[in-house]
Amino acid sequence: MHRALSAIAVTLVTGTALLLAGCSSSPPQTAGQGPTTVRLLTHDSFVVSKALIEQLKHDTGITLEVSSAGDAGSMVAGAVLAAGSPSADVLFGVDNTLVSTAVDAGVFAPFTASDASALLPALQQDTSGGLVTPIDYGDVCINLDDSWFAEHRLARPTSLDQLTTPAYRNLLVVEDPATSSPGLAFLLATIARYGDGWQRYWQALERNGVQVSGSWTDAYESAFSAGSGTRPMVVSYATSPPAEIVYAGDPKPTRPSTSVLTDGCYRQVEYAGVLKGTADEAAAGTVVDWLLSAPVQADVPLSMFVFPARSGTPLPDVFTKFAAVVPNPSQLPATEVAANLRTWLADWGTVMGR
Amino acid sequence: MPALFLGVLLVAPLASVLRHAFDQPSGLDLGTTGGIAALAALQAAISTALALLIGLPIAGILATYRFRGRGLLQALATVPFVLPTVVIALAFRGLLGARIEPGLLLVILAHVYINLAVIVRIVGANWQQLDPRTALAARSLGASPLTAFRTITLPELKASITSAAAVVFVFCFSSLGVVLILGDSGTRTLESQILRQTSLLLDFPAAAVTALLQIAVVSAALLLGARASMTRTRFGAAARATPAPRPRSVRARVHVAVVATIALVILLLPLLSLASASLRSEHGWTLEWWRSVASIDAGTTRLGSPVEAIATSVRYALITGVIASVVGVLAAMSVLAHRLGRAIAVIALAPLGVSAATLGLGMMLTFGRPPLDLRATALLVPLAHSLVAVPLVIAVVLPSLRSGDARLVRAAASLGAAPTRAFLTAYGPILRVVMIAAGGLAACVSLGEFGAASFLARTDAPTVPVQIVRLLQRPGEASVGVASALAMLLVVGTLVLVSAVDALGRRR
Repeated sequence: MHRALSAIAVTLVTGTALLLAGCSSSPPQTAGQGPTTVRLLTHDSFVVSKALIEQLKHDTGITLEVSSAGDAGSMVAGAVLAAGSPSADVLFGVDNTLVSTAVDAGVFAPFTASDASALLPALQQDTSGGLVTPIDYGDVCINLDDSWFAEHRLARPTSLDQLTTPAYRNLLVVEDPATSSPGLAFLLATIARYGDGWQRYWQALERNGVQVSGSWTDAYESAFSAGSGTRPMVVSYATSPPAEIVYAGDPKPTRPSTSVLTDGCYRQVEYAGVLKGTADEAAAGTVVDWLLSAPVQADVPLSMFVFPARSGTPLPDVFTKFAAVVPNPSQLPATEVAANLRTWLADWGTVMGR
Repeated sequence: MPALFLGVLLVAPLASVLRHAFDQPSGLDLGTTGGIAALAALQAAISTALALLIGLPIAGILATYRFRGRGLLQALATVPFVLPTVVIALAFRGLLGARIEPGLLLVILAHVYINLAVIVRIVGANWQQLDPRTALAARSLGASPLTAFRTITLPELKASITSAAAVVFVFCFSSLGVVLILGDSGTRTLESQILRQTSLLLDFPAAAVTALLQIAVVSAALLLGARASMTRTRFGAAARATPAPRPRSVRARVHVAVVATIALVILLLPLLSLASASLRSEHGWTLEWWRSVASIDAGTTRLGSPVEAIATSVRYALITGVIASVVGVLAAMSVLAHRLGRAIAVIALAPLGVSAATLGLGMMLTFGRPPLDLRATALLVPLAHSLVAVPLVIAVVLPSLRSGDARLVRAAASLGAAPTRAFLTAYGPILRVVMIAAGGLAACVSLGEFGAASFLARTDAPTVPVQIVRLLQRPGEASVGVASALAMLLVVGTLVLVSAVDALGRRR
């Protein structure tokens, strides 16, 4: 017993020593001189054409090093933990559900993009007080497997309300909002739509046999009937139908086999910002400017299947033809989301027995 | 030395997570957390029991008989352990279709499938060291095969079985990917709870408390395992002098055939469903996905070349194999030699209770910036993988080392050999076989690991699992098709690697 105790004591002492060592060794800041390397912290869904990174280097001398830190939630967690002494210079990919949390934690240094006036009018003021810059947006919507509905001679639903009716029993799969970003967006859409009555709506969905998946991949690829599953309705994106075409096998279909329920969509906006404490704020700002530049913005639709935030950016054909145009997507103020997220997720867990 | 390695690589990152944790408000509900822990323990116990039930007979025929396809079966048993969770989930969902909805049953099936490798490897490494003559003597004195197994072999194996069971229990108890993808409300683990708390709610204090609870449970399980593997066996078997025999009697042949067939079916079915996914499109059979493996998403930062990814994965796997087997064996030796052995064992095994994702986050915070910026070097990922693999190495090495004869060390020393020389004389032959087996297992851990790699791998140098997961994160037939093809490449790569390592181990 004494041996075990002394071992624990040794461990604790060693641990404390290491912890102290960690505290005292704050990173020395080196000023950027000559050719600069800027580190972009992002989530693992970030994609951009390599040619654009080379162009950035050619134009500004900046070598961009992209480091991904898991999914968007993990990335923000990492950024919040490192707020003030970041392991990167620029962050891209925090969205409107988490931006307020990151801003409150002091993750960002003030920066206004030089092309900020080129942003879509609706996004002009969406900068959390000059700390972040909108780069892209997209809508989370329920996707429908058209061929399934045709085969079963069932009318496709046109509103969220219909999903709780017997005709659509056992047909919907959603993602867990605690572990999936589209899942969270859909929960927020129902809260925006039904206000205080949102829990009643979810009780009705639960009674009507909604299935909850842990991830978008499982929901879309394994449970959705357009994947390998049986359910013809899934929470995904308004741009999933064009992606179905782009990533189809040859010969490419002329039109997607899925469509979008444009009622009950939630708008996600993704932002970039200069990380507070970076060694070279100017170079970091240049990278944010680059993300908002016309060439990168034109690359955004087919790289990440989202819409560019810069007005006047040309869209590829497959977008103009098949991406759903959502008339009135819901959006809750970022501060309201940050203030209530914990309660909402807990309440959702209670309603759904998770 | 091993203590320093583990200290710096494990304690510092965790400390840096904890250090940031306690200055924020928390919404922790201890009652819920306890309930989740109890359910997770039950799930892990069932998974472990089933994995033992299926894994022990496989380990048995692999260790006691020589037969055609033995090497392949042994390698095949390791494959599930290497596949990224999403791929396992995809394979199971493809195999079972929508017949089984996500829930406890699917989680347990997947856990058993993945952890067969742990049982087969850990118990197998020990089983091979047993002297078959003891059991044969019992047989010749009239004991039935079952009695001989129960009274002679089983007690000898108790240490490694306990050790393997403890490891499997810990894996299932702290499982994340399987639970997230294949689970439902009844199958949460503390680990998935930690993810919820950190990732969205940024509730670091609650996550820290949950993590401490998890480490407590895990350490308790490992302590039990380590304690069992510290007890000396009755016969103290030495390395076997003769190679395993072919099954001669009819009974032995039937035994091998039945077990091998069942094992093959269990191991192959999910892989076949994966193979078919890589060869099918809605137009029927196709080679399109295989053809586009090299070209998909060329020119963007999403994937990088799959050829390079394979090279990256193999490089990481080899480095991990070397680091983990050296550190693991040193740790196991100090466990045996030191009077604080048991405590060292638990500390060395503790990384099992910390998820790779938590570790990845911590390592990113600690080593991803000055003064110790390891990210530019290619070492960060293999180091994280080694940390996850060292406990497995110890679990493989310890039971076998313990069955080596300590008297030989003293004998060699009394004849004038230096301590190192004496140790090598006594343990050398066993050590070589066991280190190779353990290194192979560690390399496999690295090949399939996703959590830490997704944090630490540079975006332009992803590993194969990272590529697969990125592909599966978007719609379209091609995404699933090419991901399945890549997963099949991972399967083949594992088979080659494991067979090569096993062949090295057999050569004497």
